[in-house]
Amino acid sequence: MQKESKIRDPLILGNKTYHDITRDIARPVEGKANKYWWILFSLAAVLMLWGFACMAYTIGTGIGAWGLNRTVNWAWDITNFVWWIGIGHAGTLISAVLLLFRQKWRMAINRSAEAMTIFGVAQAALFPLIHMGRPWLAYWVFPIPNQFGSLWVNFNSPLLWDVFAISTYFSVSCVFWYIGLIPDFAMLRDRIDKKLSPMKKNLYGLMAFGWSGKAKHWQRFEEVCLVLAGLATPLVFSVHSIVSMDFATSIIPGWHTTIFPPYFVLGALFSGFAMVETLLIIMRKVVNMEAYITIKHIEYMNVIILFTGSLVGVAYITELFMAWYSGVEFEQYAFLNRATGPYWWAYASMMTCNVVIPQLYWIYKIRTSFVATFILSIFVNIGMWFERFVIIVTSLHRDFLPSSWTMFSPTFIDIGIFVGTIGFFFVLFLLYARAFPVIAQAEIKSILKSSGSEYKK
Amino acid sequence: MKNNKKYWKGLAQLENNPDIEKLAHNEFAEKLPLDDFLSDDLSSTNTSRRDFLKFLGFTTAAATLASCEAPIVKSIPYLIKPDEIIPGVANYYATTIYDGRDYASVLVKNREGRPIKIENNKTCTNARVQASVLSLYDSARLKTPLKNGVEAEWLEVDSDIKDRLSKIKDKKIILLTATILSPSIISLLENLSKKYKNVEHIMHDAVPYDGILNANEESFGLRAIPSYYFSKANVIVSFGADFIGNWLNNDYSTDYISGRNPKKGMMSKHYQIETNLSLSGSNADKRIVIKPSEQKVLLSDLYSSLSSGSDPKDNRLSEIVKKLKANKGSSIIVCDSNDKKTQLIVNAINYILGNYDQTMSIAMPSYIRQGNTAKVNNLIEEMGNNEIGALITYKVNPAYNLHNAKDFSNALSKVPLTISTSLYNDETASLMEYVCPDNHNLESWGDAHPSYNTYSLMQPTIAPLFNTRQFEETLLKWLDDSDYNSFLSDFWRKRGVNWEKAVHDGFFNIKDRKSQVTSIAKLNENVLSFEINNINKIELALYEKIGIGDGTQANNPWLQELPDPISRACWDNYITISAVTAKNLNLKNWNVANGALNGSLVNVISDDIVIKKVPVMIQPGQANNTVGLSLGYGRMKSGKAANGIGLNAFPLLNSKFIALENIEGEHEFASTQLHHTMMGRDMVKETSLAEYINNPSSGNHTDTYPTWKGDLKADELTFYDQQDLKTGHFWNLSIDLTSCTGCAECVIACQAENNIPVVGKQEIRNSRDMHWMRIDRYYSSDMTQELASKNDVSTIDMYKEMEEPSENPEVVFQPVMCQHCNNAPCENVCPVAATTHSNEGLNQMTYNRCVGTRYCANNCPYKVRRFNWFQYSDNDKFDFNMNDDYGKMVLNPDVVVRSRGVIEKCSMCIQKIQELKLNAKKEGRPVLDEEAQTVCASSCSTNAIVFGDSNNKESEVYKLKNDERAYDLLDHLNVDPSVFYQTKVRNKS
Repeated sequence: MQKESKIRDPLILGNKTYHDITRDIARPVEGKANKYWWILFSLAAVLMLWGFACMAYTIGTGIGAWGLNRTVNWAWDITNFVWWIGIGHAGTLISAVLLLFRQKWRMAINRSAEAMTIFGVAQAALFPLIHMGRPWLAYWVFPIPNQFGSLWVNFNSPLLWDVFAISTYFSVSCVFWYIGLIPDFAMLRDRIDKKLSPMKKNLYGLMAFGWSGKAKHWQRFEEVCLVLAGLATPLVFSVHSIVSMDFATSIIPGWHTTIFPPYFVLGALFSGFAMVETLLIIMRKVVNMEAYITIKHIEYMNVIILFTGSLVGVAYITELFMAWYSGVEFEQYAFLNRATGPYWWAYASMMTCNVVIPQLYWIYKIRTSFVATFILSIFVNIGMWFERFVIIVTSLHRDFLPSSWTMFSPTFIDIGIFVGTIGFFFVLFLLYARAFPVIAQAEIKSILKSSGSEYKK
Repeated sequence: MKNNKKYWKGLAQLENNPDIEKLAHNEFAEKLPLDDFLSDDLSSTNTSRRDFLKFLGFTTAAATLASCEAPIVKSIPYLIKPDEIIPGVANYYATTIYDGRDYASVLVKNREGRPIKIENNKTCTNARVQASVLSLYDSARLKTPLKNGVEAEWLEVDSDIKDRLSKIKDKKIILLTATILSPSIISLLENLSKKYKNVEHIMHDAVPYDGILNANEESFGLRAIPSYYFSKANVIVSFGADFIGNWLNNDYSTDYISGRNPKKGMMSKHYQIETNLSLSGSNADKRIVIKPSEQKVLLSDLYSSLSSGSDPKDNRLSEIVKKLKANKGSSIIVCDSNDKKTQLIVNAINYILGNYDQTMSIAMPSYIRQGNTAKVNNLIEEMGNNEIGALITYKVNPAYNLHNAKDFSNALSKVPLTISTSLYNDETASLMEYVCPDNHNLESWGDAHPSYNTYSLMQPTIAPLFNTRQFEETLLKWLDDSDYNSFLSDFWRKRGVNWEKAVHDGFFNIKDRKSQVTSIAKLNENVLSFEINNINKIELALYEKIGIGDGTQANNPWLQELPDPISRACWDNYITISAVTAKNLNLKNWNVANGALNGSLVNVISDDIVIKKVPVMIQPGQANNTVGLSLGYGRMKSGKAANGIGLNAFPLLNSKFIALENIEGEHEFASTQLHHTMMGRDMVKETSLAEYINNPSSGNHTDTYPTWKGDLKADELTFYDQQDLKTGHFWNLSIDLTSCTGCAECVIACQAENNIPVVGKQEIRNSRDMHWMRIDRYYSSDMTQELASKNDVSTIDMYKEMEEPSENPEVVFQPVMCQHCNNAPCENVCPVAATTHSNEGLNQMTYNRCVGTRYCANNCPYKVRRFNWFQYSDNDKFDFNMNDDYGKMVLNPDVVVRSRGVIEKCSMCIQKIQELKLNAKKEGRPVLDEEAQTVCASSCSTNAIVFGDSNNKESEVYKLKNDERAYDLLDHLNVDPSVFYQTKVRNKS
């Protein structure tokens, strides 16, 4: 039994009992969906279908359906890819790193953050696939034995490292998430009346892997969680480092930067926490989790956003300094062009959203306001999308030979696919909110008596 | 008796065996071992129905599948193989291309009976000649003769025409042709005038050269163009004549560049005094911008000061006068004016300078242009007066390219018999009663006499694709004769030509009698007095584009998509205007969101001629208050590639002054280069002749980087293991920026050799050009880094100003193709190893392996990789030659047609390298330096591009690699390219 100082803010509000917690968390799964859920779900589904149609059109006619050209060969596709992958990182950090650091506040948010990770990575993984000229040959990027002669993948290529990084990340995240879900699935299984809904009972029973809550089960559960947390922790840092190497190992000014791995990881955590906030602030209202996802949780996350956001700002300034200090004309021009060239507005949006706006979190009132946090989190999401756009497009569109300089402008297919992945993401998340316990009830019960508001009196 | 007779079937029946009785009821007395045979008891198996359905399903599916038609690829072997054709091995035929505009003696590469590529033979070619092989396969060509626009038979058409021609008694029969270079056609026309009455021959050039022809007639009594020997000239002064581009012949650039070799220390000084920025102006050492109306003023000033020895009134000429005086007999003055008086002054200047019979010769003239506009105008009048009985046209399109085309068309209706021999049912042919379609040059016999002592022959390289007949044959038919082939060979045999050898070589020499030239008449001083009117009006200077020329080959999509070397725009014509004038007139150019260029529209008004909705392009180097406009566009009856592209400027042919009327709306340009300056970077390294003589490596500076070992060059800093490129071949390409004139011939040659698709205007606007090699063109800017640091200009302002070209910029051309880096950035980023390095220094692209991530294209510092954004072949959305059964015949069978979703790029003509290596191996000898050629190198008229094996110490490319002028593009990246450049040297002294 853990003890916690009485002056610390409680993490569970209201006079909850263990049974209350069970009931609260099972309610969205057991009850019927409300009107808001249906509205959101239909909207998301429409966007998703539109996105799928745009993808199908691209695969049917060619990448020419996008706004790319001979100079800018990547734009929204890889921007979206990096953005989605980055969003995932907060989930892993919350569930793995904060677990290792025994941060109890993570318990209320880790389930949804991890769900966000998996759904985000799924969106991200779409882009490397559909951005290929011949996506039906995508399996060639895997080192599988083949009969095409002595053909093998090129281990020098950062794109290949991406393949390994993303597939590892996706599988570890899935396993970690699932293991955490087992006791909760068992809880749901046990609450279902077999006569009323035998299918449901069987399904949750199957997913619960025969969990019976024995002490041995709990012991193994905790051990596995710890081991997986240990495995997932390096992934928080490695995946986005590898993604950043797509750019860092190239020779394009603005891409060729050694600062990219830490810079990208920080940016990923920054954007990931913003997305967690966006999602949870909506979710706590929609599925009545106000007692568990409190302003204290939000404040903790805001502090992380403030910290990572400031570091991202330092990285931006370091880049500018290095460009100036290097004395390399091409490097200097690349950064000058970013800030003052035809895409200055993208650079300005990035700087405002990522560096200036998060500084508002120094103010206590803003840091502890749901409304302000929600608005600011949207800004960060937008800013981080622009960061990737700025890195990719402004570096490419004016590189070494001015004769090839041109601009990029998205087509409606580009936009449709991006919007479609947002729809797809929300479809998955909304389905998850209706079928899975959105808070790790088994875990959160463990802090009820130390951090519950009733026990703080 | 009858009843007693008994037949029995066997002994058993006879003996009344009881089995017989049984058999009568049951055929098989014993149970057949059917169940054993079928293993299961059929009646008792409970899966029989399912099996039955399975079998039924399978057979139905199989039958259905089998009945589906598989695509049939017809590959028909030779039943009897022609001796000279070996499948897979190219044949070369020497022939001549002459389409009424461009003349060239060429070699045609034939594969399996199809001409697929044109190579230089005796003369140099140009982009249009290179592209003419595609015009052969133009499915818009006429496929049969026409009578009143309806398909007809040759027999019927011939007898009609012969009948009607012979009935013409008092009216004239006119043959309206382009300049005829063929002596045999001239003799046929003589025969024609013997058979029919009142036959008259009139020649017409789309772009007229009457001024120079008439001036020479007056000065020398010979209506001809002089031959120019630019290599012999120390000083070249061109008044608007774009002799490197489209002026007269396409032959001058070779000669010009051979007189500009800094290695020899001798380099002509070239002054270009012009209105539009032309290819010659871009190559000139000094370019002076003038209005067209100033031309005559300056020429007479020049004449007076040279003849009197006084200083010129216009101080822009003082340097030229000084130079000319110092180089008497070794200078050339040329002028593009179509005004006889102006050309008389030019003649006089050349005469004073003693250039005749030194750097130019009228006694040994060129016959490349002989048209006579006065006669054409007279003809139109006569046609209107019902004096013409028949009009036969050949290689002309007067209803399109006469300034008074409307008058011609109206008058044409008064001619009782009109016959066109056009290849197309074009603007003129469609107005005529009969069309007897001519063959393409590559399907024809013929001869040409383009200049003094030079003769070349034309031979068919393919049987006529359509039911067409060459003009000469048609004439013979009307002369009740036939077989032009034997007529031609007899014609030349009679003149002592070794026919077989001449056909083989493609050319022959006969010593011409030197023309009798009367000595120059003294320049009538009246010529020098003239008035200049309308100084405040906007002046017009028409020009021809490198790709389209006079519009004869407008329906050739390669030429339509060839970027203009100066403006870099394609699929368009437009008025070019200086930035200052544009600002005054409130005309603009701007870039839209995807970078593509848009421009304002104007109406161009000249007296009663109005050309509506003409796009405006701001052109550095254009004289203020003038506009340039290119001819050859605005075809309406040419074919799907040309129809409706651009505007027809021929009505303005005689207009000197115009007015511009701003109108609403904007025009979308397709430009392949959107940035025009080097932004202070040193892609093109430059020096002056004086500095070069002083120090051959001047201007060729390589940056060093401080390290613990001292200051090192980028290539000494690598941490990669270097590949061994010393053994075997090491293919290198040298590009001399001093010799490159930017003529873009190599671009078309590359397109023809490597099956490069045409993508159309919209895709060019989307910056998705597919050319494997491009010719970057950079203008100088008024802002430089030195100037910025001197004047304390902020870096941001410096770059802003650097983007703006100077008002009269210096121009450089830089051909860029895949540089075949030996530390290639593209190779290590491909996840599937689709692009790899050969041990001969080539960067190889494996299309089959490419999945299309485009990472290589992003990481290419030269941006030479091209992605197949769409399926460009067999796609109705890209309805060019690759979507046409005829157009596809031009494809090179040695080069694969790429599918969508893969990257492609220059392969250094790997198919040619492979072929020559195999040939050398078969013959057991080393590869020879002279046989190693890429098409860009072999097509280059000025030998600016040199290809070879630099491991062969004897090779030219080895010497060039070790030249002081050699440098790598973007050498600081240390990508170690196999392509290198030679510093540009300008004669600034």
